[in-house]
Amino acid sequence: MRELLQLVVVGLSTGSAYALVGIGMVLIFRTTGIINFAQGSFAVLGGLFMVELVDGLPRLLAGALSVLVVGFIGSLVGFVAVGFRRRTTPLASLIITLGIALLIASLNLLAFGDRPHTYPTFFERAWDIGGVLVQPQYVLVAGVTALAALLLTLGLQKTIAGQALVACADSRRAAELVGIDVRAVAVIAFAVSAGLCALGWVLLTPVDPVNYDSDVRIAISGFAAAAFGGLASIRLAYLGGLTLGVAQQLVVGYADEIPGLGQQGRQYELAAALVIMLVLIAWRSRHEVHE
Amino acid sequence: MNAAPLLEIDSLVVKYGPAVAVDGVSLSVEAGERVALIGPNGAGKTSLLNGVCGLVKPTAGRVRLDGRDLTGRVAGDVVRAGLTQVPEGRQVFPTLPVEANLLLGAYGREFRHELVSATLRYLRRRGAIAERLQRVYTLMPKLYELRERPAGRTSGGEQQMVAIGRALMAEPRLLAIDELSLGLAPLVVKSLSEFLVRLNEDEGVAVLLVEQNAVLALELCPRAYVLEAGRLVLSGASDELERNETVRSAYLGGGLDVSLEDLGADAEPST
Amino acid sequence: MRERLPTVGRLAGTLAAGAFAIWLSYQLSPGDRSLYTLMGLYAIVAIGLSLLIGFAGQISLGQGAFYALGAYTAGILTVGVDPDDRLVNPDAGIDPALAVLAAPVLTGLVAAVIGVPLLRLRGHYLAFATLALHLILLAVIFAQSRFTGGQDPGLAVIEPLEVFGWQITGVTGGTARHTAIVWGLVLVTLLLALNLVGSRPGRALQAIATSERTAAAAGVDVSAYKLRLFVLSAGLAGLAGALYVFMLQFLSPDAFGVFLSIQFVVMVAVGGLGSVYGAVAGAVAITWLEHELRELGTRPSLLGFDLPDQAPQVFSVGVFAVILIVVILFFPRGLLPALGDGLRRLRARV
Repeated sequence: MRELLQLVVVGLSTGSAYALVGIGMVLIFRTTGIINFAQGSFAVLGGLFMVELVDGLPRLLAGALSVLVVGFIGSLVGFVAVGFRRRTTPLASLIITLGIALLIASLNLLAFGDRPHTYPTFFERAWDIGGVLVQPQYVLVAGVTALAALLLTLGLQKTIAGQALVACADSRRAAELVGIDVRAVAVIAFAVSAGLCALGWVLLTPVDPVNYDSDVRIAISGFAAAAFGGLASIRLAYLGGLTLGVAQQLVVGYADEIPGLGQQGRQYELAAALVIMLVLIAWRSRHEVHE
Repeated sequence: MNAAPLLEIDSLVVKYGPAVAVDGVSLSVEAGERVALIGPNGAGKTSLLNGVCGLVKPTAGRVRLDGRDLTGRVAGDVVRAGLTQVPEGRQVFPTLPVEANLLLGAYGREFRHELVSATLRYLRRRGAIAERLQRVYTLMPKLYELRERPAGRTSGGEQQMVAIGRALMAEPRLLAIDELSLGLAPLVVKSLSEFLVRLNEDEGVAVLLVEQNAVLALELCPRAYVLEAGRLVLSGASDELERNETVRSAYLGGGLDVSLEDLGADAEPST
Repeated sequence: MRERLPTVGRLAGTLAAGAFAIWLSYQLSPGDRSLYTLMGLYAIVAIGLSLLIGFAGQISLGQGAFYALGAYTAGILTVGVDPDDRLVNPDAGIDPALAVLAAPVLTGLVAAVIGVPLLRLRGHYLAFATLALHLILLAVIFAQSRFTGGQDPGLAVIEPLEVFGWQITGVTGGTARHTAIVWGLVLVTLLLALNLVGSRPGRALQAIATSERTAAAAGVDVSAYKLRLFVLSAGLAGLAGALYVFMLQFLSPDAFGVFLSIQFVVMVAVGGLGSVYGAVAGAVAITWLEHELRELGTRPSLLGFDLPDQAPQVFSVGVFAVILIVVILFFPRGLLPALGDGLRRLRARV
């Protein structure tokens, strides 16, 4: 039972970080109609920057700076992928984001080398909650990401900027007609999305080290979370991320009890995400007809 | 005698790749006028509007609003110059409440581009925008009632009002409406039409009504153009067009739309 | 979709080029030849992918997975499915030629299974799902290393490939004959693809590519066609993978990284989305480029700068990525079509 609780806590925490990635994907998809393959790269950059900065700067500053820098990088990516030339088709944009993900990965390799990067957790000791040992970093991640998701939802509903963003997602044509610069909105969607991804891993890296090639698994998990909500709902993407995180941890935790998997539990953490996503997609397509 | 017309479209050509949707169309709308553009489905009416309002870049020709050359400019510039469009199918923002829909109508007029400076300007111009919102609510009280409702959860006629209200928030000199009557009940269309006439006559907003329903269009607007396969085939005063044989047979149908007056006027023996 | 029915001239040109390609197999040194063989194998995969993207509008980021699956299927069937049996019994597996034929069948089946639910949805679902597939496959290969050989020691497939006594590969791997057959297959695949485009199913496919809704309204079973294209592309990739095994006579997951799947998409995108000729050109160009960049990266220093350890990967992947981005940004339909347009404009002016 104790182990189960621990697994759930870890799962909720990593899951909420994946949820942010997924939410970012939904944001970008709804405002631009493209899937951003570089989502994982933003998360990795967040983690790597934090690792570099946390050495010399106070933690809060290092974290905030990392998020802002990655957000800025995100806006550049958005500009290249969507805002740059009017002739870029959605298919082309997809390939461009793929290329960007590759580029960032190779730059990360060059700058940081091929090894997992991490930094010491914020907390010295694990918390003892009713006999269960809980690593506080996980709680921090879960809490901050929940707050971020809430703020985003509120921002989209209440501010004129957020409403303009939603307008673009609702009806690009009408938004353009009204005079909203749809491409600029797309760039901002990218920036916000990138910031969200970075936020998750700025906090998660102490317990989930990142390497230059971690972006693929993060992007896939993020997509799985987003797919939970049909790429349309932020709330469902959040839920999807949590579900995914917990499911992954359960698979890893009980891997030795699942026949055929053997001791390779860790290997299958990602596979669990993928299988869940495939099953989800297959289930969804029962109802959906291709548009 | 002739001041330049408010809207001047000169030999406009709009192409989608190799396909020519608008093939050298010229038309004009005077300030305060109501002009109709009728024609069958696929004649290029929407493409013409797209080219004028900045959604598509025309291949050739000129668009001038109040003397200013707007050819090929983006939609935001066109809105700021004083021309707004109520698009086909309403295209409200369904998840946003009605009031947000309206406020966004002022967006293009007030703010140039991206959201950050837009937000700041919005805060400064809140007063002027609120005033404008009040004016729209005065014109269309139903919208005030519905202001908190997500626009997607209103009826077709109400959505049309939202779309018109949204277009009005930019304080246009010319309102272009694409398919006013599409999918709406006749009674709703009637009240919308009356509203448009009032808007035009009391507020001086010129109207360019693009319509498949020729009967409605010719009734509402004293002057009309007929567009077919991307070309203008006829134009003139609506009552003349109503009497034109080609127009009658092609667009005014038989039976259903014939009114008693028509029957009376045509009482000559026709053998 | 850009392909037109090949005119007689084009057909003759294609056959001539094919003959040249086959002849070339015998002229190259073994070192050059293995790169050339790889180009041919990748060209086969690229043709299949090009059809999928061009007609079905679906991007598969898992062609590398089907390639790997084909390779491992052929390899494992040849050495023997039971890992214990392999060690003692030299006749454990089946005839390599049969194994090579079984590979595309298996990959096609896998594609059919995952394709049925996925192809009904928008393109990016398939993109991620196929990417996921690739990663899952790699995980399985690593994890079930007793069965697959894993990374170390890998799977050694030392049986030569021969068909009815006609020997294709030697004990030490690829021969010129093997290369010639690969390029012969490229030609065959190319011709089949062109024929597909011009035929009745081809017209249905064209309709789908233009507008799915219209095609569906006209009675075309859009999902069925897409599935067939997906299965076809997977089968081609599987076949190419199976042939790859006998080039090196050795398998290890290192050759099948995720980057491979991405490379295939790049080949098609650069060569021309939906252009079958472009796919071949793209395959040749990208394979050559990647090879050159990798070589460049292994040098200790370049232009006076000391290169770090990871240079080969950074060079090939990073420069690759930049090229991809630039090409797609400025030639969204691919280089070959852009060249074609340019030539046409020149001709019009003359």
